[in-house]
Amino acid sequence: MKVTIKLVGPFRDGRFKENVREYPSAVSVLEVVDELRIPRPLLGIVLINDIHARIEDELHDGDTLCLLPLLDGG
Amino acid sequence: MKCFTSDPASEPASVLYARCTVDLGSGKTRYEDVPCRNLEDVLGGFGRSFQILAERDIRDAYCDANPLIVNTGLLTGSSAMTGLRTYFSGYSPIKESRKGLPAAIWSTGSGNFGAKFKWTGLDELIFENRSPEPVYALIRESVDGPVVELKPAGHLVGLSTHAKMMALQNEYGSNAHFAAIGQAGEQWENVYMGAVALSTDNQLKSGEDKMRFAGRGGMGSLMGYKNLLALVAQSSDKIKPLTAEVKKVNINVVKGGGSARLQPISRGGGGGTWAAYDVMQVFNAVPVNNFRPQGNDLPEKLFRENVEPQFVIKSEACFRCGITCHNNVHEKRGDGSAGRFLAKFDYEPLNLLGTNLGIHDAAQAASLIHLSDNYGMDSISLGVTVSYVLSYNERHPEQPLLNGARFGEYAGIRELVEQAGTGNLPEIGHGSKRLSESTGETSYAYHVKGLELPAYQPETNPGYAWAIAGGHMSMGTYGLLTREGKSDMDSWVEGITRTKLQIVGFDMIGLCKFFDITKGICTQMVVDCIKSEFDMDVTAEDLAAAVRRAFLRGLALELRQGYEKSEYTLPAEVWERPNQNIKLPNITSPEFIAELQKRVWEIFEPELEGLLPEIGQKGR
Ligand code: SF4
Repeated sequence: MKVTIKLVGPFRDGRFKENVREYPSAVSVLEVVDELRIPRPLLGIVLINDIHARIEDELHDGDTLCLLPLLDGG
Repeated sequence: MKCFTSDPASEPASVLYARCTVDLGSGKTRYEDVPCRNLEDVLGGFGRSFQILAERDIRDAYCDANPLIVNTGLLTGSSAMTGLRTYFSGYSPIKESRKGLPAAIWSTGSGNFGAKFKWTGLDELIFENRSPEPVYALIRESVDGPVVELKPAGHLVGLSTHAKMMALQNEYGSNAHFAAIGQAGEQWENVYMGAVALSTDNQLKSGEDKMRFAGRGGMGSLMGYKNLLALVAQSSDKIKPLTAEVKKVNINVVKGGGSARLQPISRGGGGGTWAAYDVMQVFNAVPVNNFRPQGNDLPEKLFRENVEPQFVIKSEACFRCGITCHNNVHEKRGDGSAGRFLAKFDYEPLNLLGTNLGIHDAAQAASLIHLSDNYGMDSISLGVTVSYVLSYNERHPEQPLLNGARFGEYAGIRELVEQAGTGNLPEIGHGSKRLSESTGETSYAYHVKGLELPAYQPETNPGYAWAIAGGHMSMGTYGLLTREGKSDMDSWVEGITRTKLQIVGFDMIGLCKFFDITKGICTQMVVDCIKSEFDMDVTAEDLAAAVRRAFLRGLALELRQGYEKSEYTLPAEVWERPNQNIKLPNITSPEFIAELQKRVWEIFEPELEGLLPEIGQKGR
């Protein structure tokens, strides 16, 4: 199945900004995060189709997954 | 600090802290060891200072009875990472209730002044009254304990924060650190938003103006009113050898994830608070043109990736801190090396003196931040008050305010900052609440309870209403919608009344929030540090209860200073002109706010009873 992945901030370094990628069906967010070698402690927000989601959630064909770093004060 | 118990929660009076009271009017000093009243006193910071402030009836911040309290937290100067905080507390010149009474406030910063102060042997320094002449205070160690002396400061008058520190460094050499106000604080009558700058090792070694700030609430202006231009803390370093327990904690702080986003990108971190730009922009929630995000990509111009090619960004840190959260921006020379230091790019000043003023050029934003830091102003209050002026001028092109500057007009904005910083523009120096009341257009003045909002859209954080000091750092709900996706009433009531108020614990204990911003201080890590440093047994539950009492005391103190419940709200523009560009659920409708107010007060109100001493009485 095809999933559009959007990366934000430092996650783009050495990766990409937006990419449509092929995954087996019912792949989880966590599996995508690990596949992209995004450090889990840095992962702050997961959006699936612009809605907040959890790292355990499964993705479906045509979904857009956006991965954002932590947001913690400033 | 003298500890005669291992159980400070049950026996607080067996812990005594060292206080010096200085009468600036007479120059007399008094030293005493004060028994703690409760665990809040033991922890320190605002947990202690607010109990002192609560004993006084202060109706005008600029009166002799309003003290300036300088103190530290239990872990300031300890071997725990980020244990560098200094706290400045008093009744605020800028934050006031609608009735016109000043609110109690604290502000805090890192740098190395706090540790040096603690190492002199002092835990608290209270300045009473005001000096007839400009003075600075020298706090030094001696064989008989800490000594505080007042010194003439005529040679410091009119100097910037940095220049004052450099002048004092010439006199006191490498064993001293400094806290200083700039021209803004000296012009306290016309500037209520003066900040206190705190020196860093990096600054003193390089000569570059890389200070940290206790910015919020105008404590620099209160210092100016008292004719107290600077503090010098001179002592040898007394850091204890690192124990295995604290070492483990420190490694966890740096590597365990709590500070991940603050670490430099080169170390696999998120690159400091600046990275909030990238996150907020996904939701179109980066403040633009006085908190009106436009749904376009303008904020991206100040993204790190777009600034980095033209400048050298150094990741630097306070003394011994492995988090290294400072992003110091330098000019880039032809050979790619770092040239002149321009400014620090933390999220708040960058946004509020950049994108939120319509300034999208990094060099221009840097120069405004640099000016604000050197005049010694709270960049948040300054930026938000200037953005109010620009917004007014956009609405009234025929009869604009002041010099008529508009969003994005760098020269005009710079002039406003210069005039305000030198005390020549009280319209800005007095903050957005007073200015908007004078124009009669209050709905788009982005303050809550008289203190300007930081760079998180109020549409994302109704919790601002219950923040007891600086906006987001005294109520940790600013990420509840954006980060956690919570838009239901129960989550917001729970966040405000229980979990997210715990953020203020950092402003008691002496640690930087980045020690573990998501979990707060009520953790095994902090318990282990207290045990290791002081051989005290405190539980995470004890800590949580003390932090909650301290927070509630702050709330009770607001109410005593005349705040009405209707003031626990957001700028009206939020619901009068809902911003459709922000891509997050709407949790700031009048109905949502009304229900939230009702439910939050139902929980808080019964707990406020008996928290404050009678005026003139000592608290228990
Ligand atoms: S986290 Fe940042 S501000 Fe806090 S002590 Fe470390 S370097 Fe300084």
